[in-house]
This record gives sequence, structure tokens and C-alpha cells, in this order.
Amino acid sequence: MLKKLLPPLKWRFPVIVIIGIFSGISLFTLYVSKAHSYLSDKPETCTNCHIMSPQYATWNHSSHREVAHCNDCHVPHNNIVNKYFFKAKDGLRHASVFTLRKEPQVIFILDEGAEVVHQNCIRCHSRQITDPKLVASVEQHTAHMQDRKCWDCHREVPHGRVNSLSSVPNARVPLPESPVPDWIKKYTKNN
Amino acid sequence: MSSNLKITEKKPWLAWLVFLVTIAVVFVLGLLASSIVERRAEAAYVNVPKKEISSFEPRNEIWGENYPREFQSYYGTADSSFRSKYNGNVMIDMLEVDPRLVVLWAGYGFAKDYNQGRGHYYAVVDVQNTLRTGGPKSADDGPMPTTCWTCKSPDVPRLMNEKGVTQFYTGKWARLGPEIVNTIGCADCHDPETMNLTITRPALVEAFDRMGKDIKKASHQEMRSLVCAQCHVEYYFDKTVAEGANYLTFPWDNGLTVEGMEQYYDNIEFSDWTHSISKAPMLKTQHPGYEMYLTGIHAQRGVSCADCHMPYKSEGGQKFTDHKMQSPLNNIANSCQVCHREETSTLMANVYERQDKIIENRDKLEELLVRAHVEAKKAWDLGATENQMKDILMGIRHAQWRWDYVAASHGGSFHSPVESGRIISTGITTVQETRLKLARLFASLGFNEEVPYPDISTKAKAQKFIGLDAEKLNSEKNEFIKNLVPEWLKQAEEREKTYDIVANNKE
Repeated sequence: MLKKLLPPLKWRFPVIVIIGIFSGISLFTLYVSKAHSYLSDKPETCTNCHIMSPQYATWNHSSHREVAHCNDCHVPHNNIVNKYFFKAKDGLRHASVFTLRKEPQVIFILDEGAEVVHQNCIRCHSRQITDPKLVASVEQHTAHMQDRKCWDCHREVPHGRVNSLSSVPNARVPLPESPVPDWIKKYTKNN
Repeated sequence: MSSNLKITEKKPWLAWLVFLVTIAVVFVLGLLASSIVERRAEAAYVNVPKKEISSFEPRNEIWGENYPREFQSYYGTADSSFRSKYNGNVMIDMLEVDPRLVVLWAGYGFAKDYNQGRGHYYAVVDVQNTLRTGGPKSADDGPMPTTCWTCKSPDVPRLMNEKGVTQFYTGKWARLGPEIVNTIGCADCHDPETMNLTITRPALVEAFDRMGKDIKKASHQEMRSLVCAQCHVEYYFDKTVAEGANYLTFPWDNGLTVEGMEQYYDNIEFSDWTHSISKAPMLKTQHPGYEMYLTGIHAQRGVSCADCHMPYKSEGGQKFTDHKMQSPLNNIANSCQVCHREETSTLMANVYERQDKIIENRDKLEELLVRAHVEAKKAWDLGATENQMKDILMGIRHAQWRWDYVAASHGGSFHSPVESGRIISTGITTVQETRLKLARLFASLGFNEEVPYPDISTKAKAQKFIGLDAEKLNSEKNEFIKNLVPEWLKQAEEREKTYDIVANNKE
């Protein structure tokens, strides 16, 4: 079976070269897109695409910074399979949009993502929303919890209200730096 | 030979197909890779300011090219149209409003001229215009030292860096006239690299050092007050640090309280001037705004200066700090009402109520101090000895220090009404005890009448009473503004032309 796939002897050399080129470019693509970082939960991963700067900057100035990272809210946590399935699905969609330069000036969350975030609000804040003392202190809280998302009322949490691509000029966001290693830079600078 | 070869031998087009497909896939992969590289490279231009700002860049317009919103709101401090009940950003001649001040400061510069200050935008112009800096004719002329520039301009850290701190504090005020032209601005509080808040004036760092505190450990929220505390604090000029230098020093070693600083000055036997009527060794409280704020409820709840005086602002979907530092009473919606859900008029009334109540007793203390000064003069005239007068003069010194501490802490009656009230009441007690001593002294000198309260109903009358020639001061000042100031500006322009970075939008 394996033998069947192997090319004839006199083709082997060019085939090896071609496969090498193919794998090389693939590896380069993985490296330059920081593909490995997507397995982590670090918020810096999300600013691999610079259009996430407003989201990063506003979160970084919010109280949630201390307790929740992007993935804590934006991917489901009901089970690990679902987590990575959703992350992969959402991530690939984002990557495609970004590559095709189809990102809108003001980015809004889709319904599916909104539901995930909503469930995550509940996941952490379940005690606040079930505590009768707290519930009683806000008029109609129980009723409102049934028919809307948390941030329909808590509108500043955590990204603020305004989030266009130009809303945070000069914000200091950990954007990816040049992929060229330092030693090459040093070398080319010296020559 | 494997079967592949046989297939391709039978169908040679298949080999070509595989070849072409591979080319296409590698080609597209290459495109994808280069697209990723391109979009990554964009990140180098996104969120990065366009204009290079060198360290110690004093020109606010250069910073403004990168941060137009902050810059333009900052130049809002040029607005001089808001007047609250007592202050605001209008220039008010305080000596005219309250001529008793002239008597309290007799023999000192403040009796010549004292105005409610305008915004930061006018810092340099107003210090040139005030009669206190006199009418110097040359670099070595005039009543004031270079130290008076310290809080006026981002040219100050630049000069301190170039010439050294002690050197900066040495010489007459007029010496640095051609160097200091940019009004208080960006480089006074911001790091040019990161825009983080930073302390640029050595006096605050030194005061922290002497208290055993490290200012570098201050949190961001503390920094939002500490950058203000570089200037809005009580200070004095230490002449013992170096020959000829008036070294700016904060008297905080015994604590940031009215008593702690009084004790500090008493221990080093420091006085700003000798009162020309009572001969008391006086202290001039500068503006202990920060110290007073620290004792108030807002500071205790972690509210910083910037929270109320520079609240957030939204413009075209961008949220930023309003750099028009001003009375929150002129912007209640964005300052007070962010936390306090009351009507504007209610909040305004709450502030005025505190101010009214503090000023009620402050005015009384002021009158008693005028009386004490005049009575002390009478005692001298009746032949009192220095020994008999010693305690009395110290009493006047301490009482007026307390009065001035509240009067000069602008906003103190709102920032900390309880502390203000306490300080005023200790001032009243001190001055009345001193006047009891004066009464006993009068008795022993065989005098038993009321010393008449002078007619100081206007600024002119009061200045005449203390023997001040306001006309001469004014004409000297006019000459200085006509001759020397344009010369300074010309020299400064020549100097700034040699800077590497050129402003884009300067005509």
C-alpha cells in the first residue's frame, strides 16, 4: 500500500524537493501566524490580529482584567470538547474574515457567541444572581434575567460601549512584533 | 517499478495534473503566508504614534501632533470665562476683593499683587506679569530667584537635565527668562516613550526619600494625584543646600499636617519674611492643596485629583481624559455626577455651603490677625522689649500660618471641610491668646485703650497703609514687559529652531 504511493526512483529527488518546499511554506505559515499560540488561553493571542486592539485595550482597563481572560468569557466551558470545537470553529471564521479583509469597522458579536458569553456570565456570577438579598435590591431583576442578555443592562461591562476599530488610538496593546529574529536584524544592521 | 509509474505511463496527463495542482497549492500557500506577513506588518503601524518625541521635549505642540484630543482639550485651559462663587478660572484681583490680605502680607511680595490664577495655559505669561516678579532689567536683576520658574513650564525638566538641578535653582529669576517659554504641559507629567505618568520635579522625589518612601512604588491611581503634587503643595526655598541656590524643598519631614510643617519651620528657625508692621518672623503658606486633599473624604475613598479635575470625556466614539484641568463645578456632569446621583444645583449648593461656612470663620480670623499686627506695632511704639514681644510674635506667626494654610489651599474648604474648620479654629485660639498677652503687655506699659482698626477698605488704601508704592512697581513692570520679554521670546525662538524635530503645523 505504502509502496504504491511512493514515486518511481527517478522522480524521487524532485518530489522530495517539492514536498520540502510545500512543508517549508506550511511551517512558515504556521510560524508567522503564531498558530501554536491558539492552543493557549493568553489574551495576547487575540491581538495576533491587530483589529482586536480595541477589545484588548478596553478589557485591559476594566475590572474583569483581574479575574477573566478572553477565553473565560468567549468560549464555552461546559465541556472540554465543546470548548475546543467552538474555539476552532470561531477562530477559523475569524481567520478567514481577517485574511479576506472583510472585517467591519465596528465589530459586533454574533448570536452564537453572545449566548456563550451570557452562559459564562452566569457561570461566574451565579451566586449574585441567585442570592435573594441581591436579587431583591434590583427592581425586576429576576424577570429581566429571563428575557435579555446581562449586558443589555450592564452595558459598560467590560469593553465599554464604543468599540470601533479606531476607538482606542495609541492604546498600548501587545501586538505581534516583527517575526524576524533579532540575530538577523543585528546582522543586517551591521552590514 | 511501482504502479505510479505505470499509471503515469498510461496517462501522462495525470503527471502533469499532479504537477500543476502542486504548483497551485504552493502558490496559494505562499499567498496566504505573505498575506499573514502583511497583516502582521500592519500591526507595526496600528496604535503607534506618528511623530517621534524626544526625551525632555518641551514643546506641547509636538506632543499634540500625536495626541490631538488630549492636546486640544489641554488648551481648553486658555478658557477664562468660568467664575464660581469664590474662584473659577477668571483672573480675580484678590487684594481688591479682600484688602486685609495686603496688611497680613506687609513687607512681602504678595502685598504687591495677588490674583486668583488662570488656567495652566497662562502659567508663563502670568508669572511674567505679576508685580511679585518685579521689573528686572537684566539677567541678574529683580527680586525673585530662578526657583520661581520651577512649576511653570516643561522647559524646567529640560534645563535641569542640561544644567543640573542645583544650578537651575541658582541665580535671579530673569536669568532663565529666555529659556522658559512653553507653558505647563505634556512633558511635566508624561513619559515621552510610554505616555505613563511620571514625576519630573526633584522636590517631590526628595521629600518622599526623606520620609523613607519610594515614589516609584506609587500606584497609577496615586500617580494621578502625585503629578499634581509636584506643584500644588506647600514648599520653601532652602538656602543652605548650596551657595547662592534657592533649593526648592517640601517641609514634610514631620508629616504632611499643618502642625508637622509648623514644627519643621520652627525647628530650623525659618521665616519667609519679617512682617513690616508687627516685625513677626512670618511664614507664607504656599498652596498646600495636595496635603489638604489628603485629609478629605475623597482622598480617603481613593479618588484622585484627575478623577474630578480631569474626568473622562467622549469625542467621536473615543474615550479619553479631558486635559482641561478646571474646577469640577464647571463640569459637574462628568465629574461629580459620575458617582453622585444628585441634581447639578444640589451638588453646587453642597459645595457652596462648605465654602461659605469655612470662609465665615476664616474672615473672622483674618480680621483678628490684622488687629494683632497693628497692636504689636503699637506695643513696639510704646517701648516693648524684644524679650516681651518674643512669644507674641511667635503667636502671630503660628496663627497666620494656620489662616494662610486654609486660605492658600484653594479648594481646601471643599476638599477637606473638617480639617479646614479645625485649622481655622486653632488659628483663632492662637491669635486670641496672643492678643491676651498683648493686652497684658499694654497694661504693663500703662496703655489701656483699643488700638484702632486701620482704614483698609480698598486695596489702594491698604497698600498706602503699609507704605507700598504701587505706581512705581507698575511702571517698572510695564517697562520690563515692553523691553525684556520680547527679547526673551526672540532668543527662545532662535534656540528652538536648532532642535532636531520640527513642528509640522507651526506657521
